[in-house]
Amino acid sequence: MKNEYLPHPARIESIQRESFDTQTFKVIFVDEKLAKSFNYKPGQFMEISLLGMGEAPISITSSPSRKGCLEFTIRAMGKLTRAINQLKRGNVLYLRGPYGNSFSLEEVKGKDLYFIAGGIGLPPLRSVINTVFDKRENFGKVKILYGAKTPDELCFKEELKVWQKFPNTELLLTVDTQDKDWKGNVGVVTTLWEKTAMDGNQAIACVCGPPIMIRFVVQKLLESQFKEKNIHISLERYMKCGLGKCGHCNIGGKFVCIDGPVFTYSQIKELPAKEHVL
Amino acid sequence: MKKLHNSHPPPYPLPSREGKIGEGVFVIPCTVKKDRVKDLLITASEEWDAFVPWKGPEEDVQFVKLPDEKRKNFLDRLSLEDGAPLIPPKTVIFPQLESLFEFEEGKIKEMIPSPTKKLLFGLRACDVKAILFVDDFFKRNFEDIYYLNRTMNKLLVLVGCKTPPRDCFCTSTKTGPFLPVPRSLGEVGKEGFDLQLVDIGKKYLVEVGSEKGKEFIGNYQDFFEEASKKDVELSKAMKKKAEEAVTLKIDFEKAIKNFCEDKISQIIYEKIAERCIYCGGCLYICPTCTCFNIFDGKKGDRGKRSRNWDACVFEGYTREASGHNPRAEKWLRTSRRYEHKLKYNYLTTGMSGCVGCGRCLATCPVNLGMSKLIQEVTK
Ligand SMILES: Cc1cc2nc3c(=O)[nH]c(=O)nc-3n(C[C@H](O)[C@H](O)[C@H](O)COP(=O)(O)OP(=O)(O)OC[C@H]3O[C@@H](n4cnc5c(N)ncnc54)[C@H](O)[C@@H]3O)c2cc1C
Ligand code: SF4
Ligand code: FES
Repeated sequence: MKNEYLPHPARIESIQRESFDTQTFKVIFVDEKLAKSFNYKPGQFMEISLLGMGEAPISITSSPSRKGCLEFTIRAMGKLTRAINQLKRGNVLYLRGPYGNSFSLEEVKGKDLYFIAGGIGLPPLRSVINTVFDKRENFGKVKILYGAKTPDELCFKEELKVWQKFPNTELLLTVDTQDKDWKGNVGVVTTLWEKTAMDGNQAIACVCGPPIMIRFVVQKLLESQFKEKNIHISLERYMKCGLGKCGHCNIGGKFVCIDGPVFTYSQIKELPAKEHVL
Repeated sequence: MKKLHNSHPPPYPLPSREGKIGEGVFVIPCTVKKDRVKDLLITASEEWDAFVPWKGPEEDVQFVKLPDEKRKNFLDRLSLEDGAPLIPPKTVIFPQLESLFEFEEGKIKEMIPSPTKKLLFGLRACDVKAILFVDDFFKRNFEDIYYLNRTMNKLLVLVGCKTPPRDCFCTSTKTGPFLPVPRSLGEVGKEGFDLQLVDIGKKYLVEVGSEKGKEFIGNYQDFFEEASKKDVELSKAMKKKAEEAVTLKIDFEKAIKNFCEDKISQIIYEKIAERCIYCGGCLYICPTCTCFNIFDGKKGDRGKRSRNWDACVFEGYTREASGHNPRAEKWLRTSRRYEHKLKYNYLTTGMSGCVGCGRCLATCPVNLGMSKLIQEVTK
């Protein structure tokens, strides 16, 4: 029997600053065997910790299609995430996982893909997006709609430019509050609907962001003829174990940590409405 | 293993045979004299970590491990006659606080409990059912190595309630005061107890629920005697009397049905929310509650990661770092507390998360509890 509560040390190889409170950490397991054998799927998360500071669930933002690369984008929100954001290259983090289900790409081959992210919701979607781009020919149109509070808070600024250049791909950005250099859209993510055609008939949508954003986005997606079962949403809940044991992430009869974090909208509708899932 | 009864053909247990006087597939039941129970426990504790209901200096009863020394003195406070202890035997199988690992200078040392043989002697029927429930939970999906290691070698000895406590309703939940004895091979071990003791005055009649239970009797055969027809008759009368002594009757099946069909109105939860002080006491002493928190403690570069009991009625239980809390309103936490036990547990496992022990009502400072809620929703 494996001890799932035991974290494994991983060394920080590089740090990329995304915004004033968010950084992306590229890490590698100290144990070479583990580093080689480690596998995950897009959409999964890991429990990340510093010994003595606690653990937090963080999505894997890198793509399994890029071997040897394990990345996390972490926003300083509380005690642990603030401490992680103080770390330097060469420091050690502790990881266990991967946990949770994933965005299944097998079932969506050939289809148009719409990614809609708000704020710190892009990191988990980036894992899917890059997996898709690494097999670009397998999928139809790709549209990425991404909103942040301010231009500074947009993550992966360089990579966004790369994504834009892929064939048959559209990237639409928006911010709630602009600064003097911003030339793009201003407004919440749903205002991007006016900038591009959203045809949900045969398409798949992947959504991640704060609950209020998800609620409005789903509304819009349904209006654009997306089918409920084709809307995939990554949920966030307070988590402790990631193993379906501690109970914190329970919604109705489901655990977000093992039955999710990715649910289709039709699955979410089955969950009790009073649990404020969206 | 000391004396395996295969190698030492014992007088007891005997295989069941024509003209048997007792019940069950295993044996003609045997008895153990009450005044020999302490000696049995002392002898058994050579091989087992024996846990017994023990009355502390404050008169509160909980399951405590027999110490290595002064065991006779210790057993003067053995409490087999009183009802189920307010603090459940959950403390033995899933302690309130346990360390997952220690660390020092970045090095981690696992703290997995050793799978010692544990004898839980003097459990009530409801608590046996609760242990079965918790076992199943920690095995499902990810196996919890801490729980499974601690509990993999346990023997559950049930002592049925003679005078069930006022607040319990085990006849309504069908979890006591006694559990059915296996009548066919397919039923062996199903009820969860290994041995079941029935108080028949100066002695206990002993019924066997599993192979492990049978083996235990074989290993300590000196303590057991053959039961007479009269003993068996007495035990039947005793079980009936105990059953009748459970006076709190509720319509548990209807409650489960109403929960599963979402017939419970928000108003019921809101009414509870007006009274409940959200102390979580009911969940800490609930024998089936398993929620926990994980936290770190450290001094310098040494410390440990531990887990401790948590409760879904606490405001911070679902509050995220951003401040967002899907269960900010009190009534939502109350609804979670009851629906988890009566709806979702039932739908996912076929077992309800309530075993009718009545502890939540007994402990609640404002007189709330499962039975009250059930009376309310089945009116
Ligand atoms: C599946 C999932 C994926 C996530 N992915 C990312 C990501 O890629 N990048 C990122 O920056 N953030 C992510 N989060 C949110 C992140 O987990 C919280 O911001 C983080 O737990 C805050 O921890 P803290 O110790 O700094 O804050 P504190 O307020 O000190 O929190 C203490 C503890 O509470 C729990 N907790 C608090 N907030 C949350 C929360 N929102 N979700 C779950 N547990 C919480 C954690 O166990 C945490 O260690 C994700 C959350 C989930 C559930
Ligand atoms: S013991 Fe009573 S007051 Fe405390 S949480 Fe339970 S129901 Fe509420
Ligand atoms: S995080 Fe512990 S049950 Fe889901």
